[in-house]
Amino acid sequence: MANKTDVGAGHVHGTDPQHLIEKILASKIYDHSYWKEHCFGLTAESLVDKAVDLVCVGGTYGGQRKPTKFMCLLLKMLQIQPDKDIVVEFILNDDYKYVRILGATYMRLVGSPTEIYQYLEPLLKDFRKVRIRDPMGAYKITHMDEVIDGLLTQDYYFDIALPRLPKRVHLEAPKRLPPRVSGLEALKLLDETTGAGEGEQEQENEEDTSD
Amino acid sequence: ADGAGSDNEDLPATDDEDEDALLSAWKLRELQRIKRDQEQRDEFAKEAKEIERRRNMTDAEIAEENKRLGLKKGGDRGQMR
Repeated sequence: MANKTDVGAGHVHGTDPQHLIEKILASKIYDHSYWKEHCFGLTAESLVDKAVDLVCVGGTYGGQRKPTKFMCLLLKMLQIQPDKDIVVEFILNDDYKYVRILGATYMRLVGSPTEIYQYLEPLLKDFRKVRIRDPMGAYKITHMDEVIDGLLTQDYYFDIALPRLPKRVHLEAPKRLPPRVSGLEALKLLDETTGAGEGEQEQENEEDTSD
Repeated sequence: ADGAGSDNEDLPATDDEDEDALLSAWKLRELQRIKRDQEQRDEFAKEAKEIERRRNMTDAEIAEENKRLGLKKGGDRGQMR
């Protein structure tokens, strides 16, 4: 069957990677014409071309909960299990927003907690607009960092149940992750935005040194 | 038509935006995230401190506090037995 997982693909979280998408959604994808016409026989390379053409992200929409193309490609990635390098390349690319989100979502599904934080957190600095298809089928505008934040903090996103991700604090305690450096600090923007929440500490420090 | 072709009807624009508005909106979101993260950390720290405090108490002290707080050893098993 064409919908079988690649024989070379290893198990993820102790199961067939395709099981990370619930059966009901997976069978909707298998029945979708985009899957049948455009996803058949895709390889890691030809999948890139399809991903570049994406114009929105989202889970399912409409009365019949039709899957988006984004979902079809995500399931395809689970099916063919591209090399980690390729997924990382998806995430690191700056030109194609939807390829980046596809890579990030895939990483969130199959990666280890440290990998997920390591690769997804830098994307919180990306504030470009992206289109997301809401359950009613309408296109909404959101931002890259909001999508990534959703992937990191929610347990259900894009209509799929995400594998459990430990809180950052619990990975920092045993030194498996360094503390997060916010994009604000990197840009030295914190001083500009004093008064609003975390800016205060930074300001105090500066006053001390100026004496 | 490829069945999923309805994707191309009037897509909202995501380009031609002024960077400044995007950046300031992002700054606000980022600050909210930092705040949320800090609150979470404070919560965990508080809990860890509470656990540490209880661990350093003698059995008698624990029993007394449980009584004061209305906690029962083993918890309430309810009616279903």
